Amino acid sequence: MTTDAEEMELRDRLKLIESMIAEGRRTTGSWGWTFVFWGVAYYVAIGWTAYDQNPWAWLITMVGAWVPCWLIIRYHHKNSSKPKPETTVGRAIFSIWSAMGVSMCMLFPGLGFSGRFNQHIFVAIVAAMLGVANGASGMILRWKAQIACAMVWWATSVAACFGGDNQCTVVFLVAIFLCQIVFGLYGMILEARARKLEAKNA
Amino acid sequence: MPELPELNPVIHGKLRLALLSLLSGVEEAEFTWLRSKTGSTDGNLGAQLLKLEEAGYVVVEKKFVQRKPQSLYRMTEAGRTALTEYVVALKQLLGGAME
Repeated sequence: MTTDAEEMELRDRLKLIESMIAEGRRTTGSWGWTFVFWGVAYYVAIGWTAYDQNPWAWLITMVGAWVPCWLIIRYHHKNSSKPKPETTVGRAIFSIWSAMGVSMCMLFPGLGFSGRFNQHIFVAIVAAMLGVANGASGMILRWKAQIACAMVWWATSVAACFGGDNQCTVVFLVAIFLCQIVFGLYGMILEARARKLEAKNA
Repeated sequence: MPELPELNPVIHGKLRLALLSLLSGVEEAEFTWLRSKTGSTDGNLGAQLLKLEEAGYVVVEKKFVQRKPQSLYRMTEAGRTALTEYVVALKQLLGGAME
């Protein structure tokens, strides 16, 4: 039989294990900037398409954005003085977003070349895919803000099926602003706070 | 009454327990990252990691990155099993205490 003091000590150990496992899992890289970056890229593509109706605008902008994005990530990974460990959670989230990117790169050129592309279908699919990626990441990380983003994307996906072209564009622009720009900046603020705390403990 | 299990003394140390728990959630971790997460001193952290290494619960890979030494720690299968058994034993003991 254990005494009360021993029992408390054992409970402390259990809490320590849980908190440390959670601490390790929380360790993900700095990704807030990528949301802002891709949000701006979406705006560039939308602006370019609206300006001269170039059918290649989205493909060129997305590929053009992917290259510097990849280079920045690689640069940070190689030159970081305090490299963060790769976590299974981090790998799962990276896989979800990568798979989403590949799906988009496969589907949209196909739709474009076959002549079956239209604005409503495009916005509905993009919003649904971003809803899946944000929803899955949010559920893995148990991050309510990201789950809220997923809900906005899902609502956008439904809204894109109705109304006129202009309404569809406005809904898409608002969703990008909320879920990419605002959410990305929010993520960057949280990451800056975490970095400060880490520096304090180091 | 069933006999209560004994807790593994290698893992029972608070810092060693924290280190194994941290390593259970990551692929591998650098010494400085473990230090920042545990708030430990270099000397104490190094000593506790050595004990875990001697027990076969972690392995270390030392290399140079941009001419700076880097120690990467990874949990072994034996370490994962030991941590799991420790948690089971801990829960059994707490269950016994509650009876």
